[in-house]
Amino acid sequence: MVTGIGIVSPYGIGLDCLQAGMLAGKCCLAPTKDVYPGFEGTTAAVGGLPLPANGADSRYSRSDRMAMVAARDAVANFDCESAAFRESGVYMASTVAGLSEIDPAIAEDPAAWYRRGSGLARAASYPPAHVADAVGDHLGVRGPRCAVSAACASSAMAIALAANMLLDGVAPMMLAGGSDALCPFTLSGFSSLQALDPEPCRPFDLNRKGLNLGEGAAVLVLETLAAAEARNAHVLAVLRGWAMTNDAFHSTAPQTQGNGLADCMRLCMEMAEVGGDEIGYVNAHGTGTPLNDVAESNAYETAFRGRSRPVPVSSTKSYFGHCLGAAGALEAAITIAAVRCGALLPTLRLTEPIESPGVNWLRGEVRREPLPLAMSVSAGFGGSNTALLFGSGGFGNGEFENREFGSSSL
Amino acid sequence: MTANSAITGIGSVSPYGPLAGLISQCAVEPESITAWKTAGLRRAFLVKPFRPADVVPGLKTRRLDRLSAWALVASSLAIQDAGIDLGQLDRSRVAVVLGTGFGCAELTESFFQSAAVNGWSGTDPSPFPEGLANAPASHVALWHGLRGPNITVGSTGFAGESALIQAASLLRHGQADLAIVLAGDTLTRAVYEWYEAAGLLSPACYNAEPLPEGGGFVPSEGLVALVLEAAGRQDARAYAHFSSGRCATGGKAVETIRAMLGDSVPSLTICAGNGAPCASSSTIALAREIAGPSADMVPAEAVAAGLADAGAFLHLILALSRRPRSGHALLLGTSGDGGFAALLLELS
Repeated sequence: MVTGIGIVSPYGIGLDCLQAGMLAGKCCLAPTKDVYPGFEGTTAAVGGLPLPANGADSRYSRSDRMAMVAARDAVANFDCESAAFRESGVYMASTVAGLSEIDPAIAEDPAAWYRRGSGLARAASYPPAHVADAVGDHLGVRGPRCAVSAACASSAMAIALAANMLLDGVAPMMLAGGSDALCPFTLSGFSSLQALDPEPCRPFDLNRKGLNLGEGAAVLVLETLAAAEARNAHVLAVLRGWAMTNDAFHSTAPQTQGNGLADCMRLCMEMAEVGGDEIGYVNAHGTGTPLNDVAESNAYETAFRGRSRPVPVSSTKSYFGHCLGAAGALEAAITIAAVRCGALLPTLRLTEPIESPGVNWLRGEVRREPLPLAMSVSAGFGGSNTALLFGSGGFGNGEFENREFGSSSL
Repeated sequence: MTANSAITGIGSVSPYGPLAGLISQCAVEPESITAWKTAGLRRAFLVKPFRPADVVPGLKTRRLDRLSAWALVASSLAIQDAGIDLGQLDRSRVAVVLGTGFGCAELTESFFQSAAVNGWSGTDPSPFPEGLANAPASHVALWHGLRGPNITVGSTGFAGESALIQAASLLRHGQADLAIVLAGDTLTRAVYEWYEAAGLLSPACYNAEPLPEGGGFVPSEGLVALVLEAAGRQDARAYAHFSSGRCATGGKAVETIRAMLGDSVPSLTICAGNGAPCASSSTIALAREIAGPSADMVPAEAVAAGLADAGAFLHLILALSRRPRSGHALLLGTSGDGGFAALLLELS
């Protein structure tokens, strides 16, 4: 069961403001010039990030701080002194982690860089595991802590792996998600690969030119049904299925036909024991890069072959960019919000969609309809794919009304 | 306690060289660092340069981080050691799980270097994707055609232990039939000098004297790959069966580990001290509390302790290489700040 969601996004803190902004069609992407000399592009930044308690300490990176704020938001209504909460585990994802705190001078003379100011403490935030530690320390939880790095599929994978850990019984509750800050390192990297669209991105459009980077954090609280029932928890959604695959095709390019991603979606539906016709919406990876979007549309054709009508798909990266290691968790939260309010968000700026007869590219207005099951799909450099399937499971307003879902569901 | 998975193959790239199976050589000594200019003698346990294609014919590693190259070599050696013909397997059911503390630190530093020289607007694109932490696991998947889950994990003090726990979980939940599980790190100038600035190094890093007890550690590098198969597939050739594992940040270490052990009584406790100066003594203290004062204990080996977060597998294979293999073994690590990791293995 998903019993808590915490968000830090360019819309602000919390799922409510993210949902309200997106339902209103607000795009947070904006021209950006000041990240480093010579950079001109489009990004979506988090403004006015509050400092968590002790968060001003230089040993915490911006990714750490966003994760801490999101985690605190996720457990805002929890009894954080309870024994079960204290034994919670943390599974966080990050690709940037503390890279945002390190500058190129470190490469010239590391020892001198460490001696300068808070260099030593800032460098300590470099490993992704530091984000998990920051969240765990901030909330005072003592369960297992882990970080996952699978490029842009990282935080979706963190949720899947945390779900496995819950089923293994290693912790009564898992906080899982991701956090990544905008920084010169990643902007320069994607720019050097010529992967950035200087204008607001256009996922799945024939005229798409690349991605925009954003930043943010999302943390989901996962519990077993028994644990959620025991404390009469407010259930936000049921994680019905999850799956992970790899393309084994290329370091950076997706497999052209999207076979690995299609397998991932198929395995996810098999785990949940549902067919393609039952999926009411797919929140796509949809970066806006020429290669990804073609591979992904091919994957939908394969995974949903035999479906009676085209599968509704949209990319919400068109609203606030690609948040890298946080993207999967943010999009999982958006997918849950879609299920809960029966609202299918369109892709912004999608005027000439890729030809894909098996896909109903959502564009224009928000579509309102009951949405029992929705999938969130993530992919990343290195060929990693993850699919998460969320359902309402009949839960509404904290009442346990219907338990008609597979035994592996969370 | 029923084992759900078996370690059937081992490959390593370490200061002992690239090897398939257990390590029969005697202990290695730290060497002088020559890869960068140091202020006086600086020593570490280093992997001697070698051509990966000499070990695995056809392997191309020119643009890769050394961690990726070692992952390719060690995974190939482990698969060979397990006697597996990947062509006979459904490779969509084979997972790759890597535990690492620093990931591809060399190419990350190269990217910073290109930014230092050319500015952020003139960086060299090639180190960027290859510097991602998941690049080694991705290359293993690409080289061997493995299309199952591909996971790179980090965990302060316990990256290797976490990788093994995650891999066993994938097998337990039917998300893979077999996993290549790796743990390793490279030693770079920025990493070494960070340890030094943080005051974590042993006096043995600065002179050619024998390693003293305690008082810091000597950094190390290397990577170990294990083939983990669902129990029952190749039990006869297993080095050990993995029964269960736990990592936690603090609190009830003894109770948690005792609950994990159940009725199993470890005949051997492998101390996986992970570099932090206090970790070794706290691991031994925890081991004594769990297994009793007369328990047979394998102390942490300096070459593995120097691998810090990613040293667990080197600790394990060194212990398996040097001790009779029977009964249950508990691999135990502490992070020095209350964190612990425990793996229960049934030795074959």
